[in-house]
Amino acid sequence: MSGRTSLSDILLGLVGTLIVLAVWEFAARGGFVDASIFPSPLLAFESAMQKLTTADVLSHIGWSLYRVVAGFLLGAACGIAVGIAAGWYRFANYILVPLIELLRPIPPLAWIPLAIIWFGLGEPSKFFIIFLGAFFPVVTATYRGVMSVDPMLIRAAQTHGLKGVRLLAQVAVPGAAPDLATGIRIGWGLSFGILVAAELIAADRGLGYMIMHARLLGNVDVIVVGIVLIGILNLATDALIAWGIGKWIGRWHAT
Amino acid sequence: MNERWTRALTAIAVFGVLILAWEYASTNGLLKPYKFPPPSKIARGFVELATKGFPKDLTLWVHVQTTVARILQGYVYALALAIPLGFLVGALPLLEKLTNPLIVFGRSIATLSLLPLVIVWFGTGELTKVILIGYGCFWTMISNVIAGVKYVDRTLIAAARTMGVSGLNLYWSVILPAALPRMFAGARMALGVGFMVIVGAEMIGTIEGLGALIMEARTFYRSDITIIGMLVIGVIGFLISSGLMRLERVLIPWDTGLQDVRR
Repeated sequence: MSGRTSLSDILLGLVGTLIVLAVWEFAARGGFVDASIFPSPLLAFESAMQKLTTADVLSHIGWSLYRVVAGFLLGAACGIAVGIAAGWYRFANYILVPLIELLRPIPPLAWIPLAIIWFGLGEPSKFFIIFLGAFFPVVTATYRGVMSVDPMLIRAAQTHGLKGVRLLAQVAVPGAAPDLATGIRIGWGLSFGILVAAELIAADRGLGYMIMHARLLGNVDVIVVGIVLIGILNLATDALIAWGIGKWIGRWHAT
Repeated sequence: MNERWTRALTAIAVFGVLILAWEYASTNGLLKPYKFPPPSKIARGFVELATKGFPKDLTLWVHVQTTVARILQGYVYALALAIPLGFLVGALPLLEKLTNPLIVFGRSIATLSLLPLVIVWFGTGELTKVILIGYGCFWTMISNVIAGVKYVDRTLIAAARTMGVSGLNLYWSVILPAALPRMFAGARMALGVGFMVIVGAEMIGTIEGLGALIMEARTFYRSDITIIGMLVIGVIGFLISSGLMRLERVLIPWDTGLQDVRR
């Protein structure tokens, strides 16, 4: 949708990023800002490397990714299943939609205390919250998408003798795919943000824990590196998902 | 009309059955009352929270006010910064290309991951929460403002040019109105982000505000109060977002909905 990005655009973007990094570096080294509180990117990276071992960082990344991927997959799968049911079958629509619309305005982070009450402080409560973060955007996008499939398409398919589950699978779901894709990307972004929050509040490993623990030790450099790492991870995974969706949807819809 | 009635009646029936089943199950030991407090206890908890308050003297109203005030502060600062900046960046293609990766990255940083850093800088007080909300709202808003300005229909601009509109006037009478729907959508999304961030931010270092309320209630084994807090958060979020949508329809009647933009 954003069109092709040309090489010169990428170069200009790089230049802009370098300018900002250079100004930041210069300000921190030149003593305009206190470097122990606002370290320069290079210094932060350098000193954080001395405090962290690669194995530690990789294990934190691994735990975070495991949680977010597992929670997200579960949430998106349930969201798609419930969304298709609510969008396709009138009876399910009447029952499920009010329930979804009642719970949807509650931000997933507000479920943290209840998740702890239900599942304790361990892993299940985190999966549950991340699950919710993926579930609600996906379920609403799916049922709205299925409901707004062009009725002409459905009638055309029906005159060709398609009905029941095959009509759903071959016409309604592909027709809803663009909406579904939007829901999935929003769900991924939300799951990721929730992961960090959940790890800040109650965890003993993962990137969120790493930076919260660094605060207790006063290691601002580790915090900065952690924040950047979380950002890069979010960006990379989102790009991966966007690419996957593009491949999948490109079969029906010109993007 | 008939369809609407069936829909409403089914909704009421579903909620009624669920609430009765829940009440029955949790008072008869099928569900643990601590994990699933019966609706009657939640109702009593609501009265307690509204009159006596939880923790003592902090009534529901105080929590709501605190939370809403925090969100609004961060939100207003973020919008005040994001709208002019977004307009500038969107209007100058070179600047847009220079800053694009920074804006994408700024958006990708999970707002709450900044919490430890902001605590180091500003302590655990009010400022920290306002800054976090501001940060989250800012990136959502600015990317929508930029997109709104950047993707104004080229034919509109060309048409205005042939009619002699140029310079600042072009911005004021063509580009701004055309960008407004997207900006409004951004403002609505940004408020959603602020709402999400505040709940997380309030779970650390405060006992006032709805996020703190639900976390405190858990510590004191008052799951009924936790559930009330969650519902109140949901209701406020719903009211704000539907209010903004209504406002949008009144203020910019030429908006045909983002549906067309997205497809």
